[in-house]
Amino acid sequence: MIFSRISRRNLKGSFDACRWFLCNRHQNHQFLFSHYYHSRGGSLDKVQRSLISSNGPPKLDDTSHQIHYQTSPIVEDQLDPFSLVADELSLVSNRLRAMVVAEVPQLSSAAEHFFKMGVEGKRFRPTVLLLMSTALNLPLPPNELSGTLTTELNSRQQRLAEITEMIHVASLLHDDVLDDADTRRGIGSVNCLMGNKMAVLAGNFLLSRACITLASLKHDEVVSLMAKAVENLVTGETKQMTTTSDERCSMEYYMEKTYYKTASLISNSCKSIALLAGQTTEVATVAFEFGKNLGLAYQLIDDVLDFTGTSASLGKGSLSDIHHGIVTAPLLFAMEELPQLRPVIEDGFDNPANIDLALDYLGKSRGIQRTRELALKHAKLAESAINSLPASEDDEVRKSRRALVDLTHRVITRNK
Amino acid sequence: MLFSRGLSRISRNLRGSLNGCRRFPSGRGQNHPLILSNTCQSPGNSSEKVFRSFLFSNGLPSLHSASHQFHNQSSSIIEDQLDPFSLVADELSLLANRLRAMVVAEVPKLASAAEYFFKMGVEGKRFRPTIILLMSTALHVQIPNPSPSNELESILTTELRSRQRCIAEITEMIHVASLLHDDVLDDADTRRGIGSLNFVMGNKLAVLAGDFLLSRACVALASLKNTEVVSLLATVVEHLVTGETMQMSTTSDQRCSMEYYMQKTYYKTASLISNSCKAIALLGGHAAEVAMLAFDYGKNLGLAFQLMDDVLDFTGTSTSLGKGSLSDIRNGIVTAPMLFAMEEFPDLRVVIEGGFDNPANVDLALDYLGKSRGIQRTRELAIKHANLAAAAIDSLPESNDEEVKRSRRALIDLTQRVISRTK
Repeated sequence: MIFSRISRRNLKGSFDACRWFLCNRHQNHQFLFSHYYHSRGGSLDKVQRSLISSNGPPKLDDTSHQIHYQTSPIVEDQLDPFSLVADELSLVSNRLRAMVVAEVPQLSSAAEHFFKMGVEGKRFRPTVLLLMSTALNLPLPPNELSGTLTTELNSRQQRLAEITEMIHVASLLHDDVLDDADTRRGIGSVNCLMGNKMAVLAGNFLLSRACITLASLKHDEVVSLMAKAVENLVTGETKQMTTTSDERCSMEYYMEKTYYKTASLISNSCKSIALLAGQTTEVATVAFEFGKNLGLAYQLIDDVLDFTGTSASLGKGSLSDIHHGIVTAPLLFAMEELPQLRPVIEDGFDNPANIDLALDYLGKSRGIQRTRELALKHAKLAESAINSLPASEDDEVRKSRRALVDLTHRVITRNK
Repeated sequence: MLFSRGLSRISRNLRGSLNGCRRFPSGRGQNHPLILSNTCQSPGNSSEKVFRSFLFSNGLPSLHSASHQFHNQSSSIIEDQLDPFSLVADELSLLANRLRAMVVAEVPKLASAAEYFFKMGVEGKRFRPTIILLMSTALHVQIPNPSPSNELESILTTELRSRQRCIAEITEMIHVASLLHDDVLDDADTRRGIGSLNFVMGNKLAVLAGDFLLSRACVALASLKNTEVVSLLATVVEHLVTGETMQMSTTSDQRCSMEYYMQKTYYKTASLISNSCKAIALLGGHAAEVAMLAFDYGKNLGLAFQLMDDVLDFTGTSTSLGKGSLSDIRNGIVTAPMLFAMEEFPDLRVVIEGGFDNPANVDLALDYLGKSRGIQRTRELAIKHANLAAAAIDSLPESNDEEVKRSRRALIDLTQRVISRTK
C-alpha cells in the first residue's frame, strides 16, 4: 500500500525521469554520487567514453540525454532503466490487459481497472524483472536452436513479470478495502467505485489468474517461490493490522513487516527469473538479495518522503502514514533517541495534537537522516549484488546490469 | 452463503449413521427406484459375503456401531451401513484439527473473525473433504508387485495419501475463504449495522482471514509439486469468484435463464468438488480417462446437491410447499424450481422481474410454483445428475481391493443420500 504511493507521484516516463534527475543533481544528493564515482577514478572515464561511442540504448536521440553527454561526467542516467525495456514493457502491459478479462462484465471491469492504459502505475516491478532477465542471460551455443530457446526463455520471463504484476495489483485491491482508500493512482479505487465485495472478488480473480499462469511455467520451485511471496504479502498486511503496542514500536518488527509487504515479492520474483534462466543456486540467491535490498531501500525512502515530500525538510509530505496510524522507520529511529516520543505514539494519532508533537520530536531527532542512511546501506547491498554476478562479455547483459545499478541509485535519490 | 445453508441442512440430516440408515429404507418408496436398482444389482450370494466381511474385518473405526449390525440382520439393503462419513471420520478430524490449529497458532486475531472454521465442525459433516478422501481410496491401485517391498508400497501409499489429504485441506481452505469473502459487506451495508465499528472491523478481518486461507492454499498447492493440480485448483478459485459475481450482477434475461443458472451453479458449487476429485486422480498418476470419471462424479454430485438444496429451500422437511426457509426467494435468488415453473407459466416471469422485496410477489410466485411441476422437475434433474455420478463410479477400472470397493460403494451411497435427504 505504501509502496504504491510513489507510482502516483513519480517517474512518469523516461523523459520526466531525466528531467528530474537534471533538476536534482545539485541538491544534497550530489555528495552521494560523488562518493560513488570518485572511487572508480580512471576506469570511469573509460566507461564514459565507451558509452558515448557505443551504439547505446534506443532512446539516445532524446535531447536531454545529449545535454548530459556534453555537460556532465555522470553518464549513468543515459541508461534510463525504464527506456531500456520500454518495448518489452508495452508487450507485457498489453498481455496483462488481455489476461485479466473475465466472463462476467462486472468482474472484468473491476479486474482490469488498474491495468488500463495510463493507470498502470510505474510498472516498477516488471521493469526490474525484465532488466534482470537480460542481466542474467547465459551465453548460448551459436547453433540454430539458440534463437528459439532465447525466445522461449524471454516469453517465460515475461510471463513471470506478468504474474508478479497481477499479484501486486491483487494485493493493492485488497489493501484498499482494508484501508478504506478512496483513490489510487489518481483515480477512484475499485472498492470506492464498485464496492468492497467486488474489490475483494476481483483481487481473488487476479490471484487465480496469476496462479494459472504460474502453473503454465511448469517449474516447481518458481511456483513455490511465488506462492511464498503471496503468503508473505498477507502476513505483512496481517502484521500491520494486528500489532501490539510493543510491536508497533519495534524497528525489528517494522523491518520484518516491510520485508513481507514490499520486498518479498520483488526478491522472490528476481530469484524466479534466475531459476527460469537456468542459473545456479548461488546466482539465484544473488538475484534474491538484489530484489530484497532494492525493495527495502525503496520502502525506507518512501517512509522519508511521506514526511518530507518534495522538500528536504519536514512536514511537507502527505503525512498519510502517520494519519493512518502507521509508525514507520523515521519515527522508530526518533523514538530511540527520544523515549518521550513513545507515549505519544502509544496514545495514537487520532488526536491531531499528537501528530504535531510527534513531528516535533522527529524534527529534533536524527530520524530522517538515519532512515536515509539505512536506505543507502540497502541500496549499496543491492548494487554489490549486481556487481557480484558472474562476469559477462555480452553488451546487452552489461547494459542491463548497469541499468539495475542505476535503479539502486534512483531509488535513493528520488525526492518525490 | 447459500451453500453453507445447504450444507448445514445436510449436516442436520445426516447426523450419525443411525439416522442416515433409518431414513433410507423409508425413502425407498419414493420415486427413486431407478437409483436403487442401479446400485443393488450385485447378486445375492456375493452380497452376503460382503456383509460378513464387513462384520469380521478389522475394518474401519466406527464399523461396529450397533446400527450396522441391526441393518445386517433386518435389511437386504446393505449400502446404508457404509455411512460414508464414518468411513473417513478419523482422517477428517485430523484434517479439521490441523486447520484449526494452524489458524489459531499463527494468527490468533483472525481466529475470532473466522468462526466458520469452528462452526463447520459443530454443525456436522464435512461434505467436500469426505468426498475427496473417499475418492482417494476409490481410485487406489495396488501395485502388483509381490516382492517383499510391502513396506515400500505402504510408504508410497502413505506419501500419496498424505498428498491427497493435502488436497482435502486445500479444498476446505478455498471453500471457507470463499464463504468469508462472499460475506464481505459493502459500505452501505456496514453502515446499517448495529455497533458499526464492530461491523467494519469484522468486515476487514473477514477479508484478511480469507486472504490468509487463500495464501496458505497457494503454498500447500505449491508443495505438491504438480503444476497441473495447481492449475486445476486455481481455476476453482476463478470459478467461485465468477459464480458469485454472476449471482450478484444478473440481467433480467439471465436471471430467468436455466442455462445461466446451471452455469452459475457449476461455478459456485460443483467446480470445487469436480476439480478436486480430478486432482486426486492426477496425484495418483491415473490416466486421463480415470481423471475425467472422477471429475464427472464430482461435477454431477455437486449439481445434484445444489438442485436438491433448491427444492428443500421451498419444501423444508415436508414434501409440500412453503415449509422451507424460503431464503433464496427472499434474497431475490431465482432457482431451478422457479425457472422450471416459469417455462410452464410465462406470467410468472413478470412477477419475478417485479422483484421479491414485495412479499405479495413472494406469495404469488409460490402460488405459481405450487401449480407447476417445478419442484418435481427439479428433483428429476437432480436424480439424473445423481445417476450420472453413480455411473461414473461404476465406470472406474475394476478393483478387487475390499477397501477400494467399499469406498466406491460409499461414493455411490452419497449420490443417493444427496437425493433422498428431506432436510
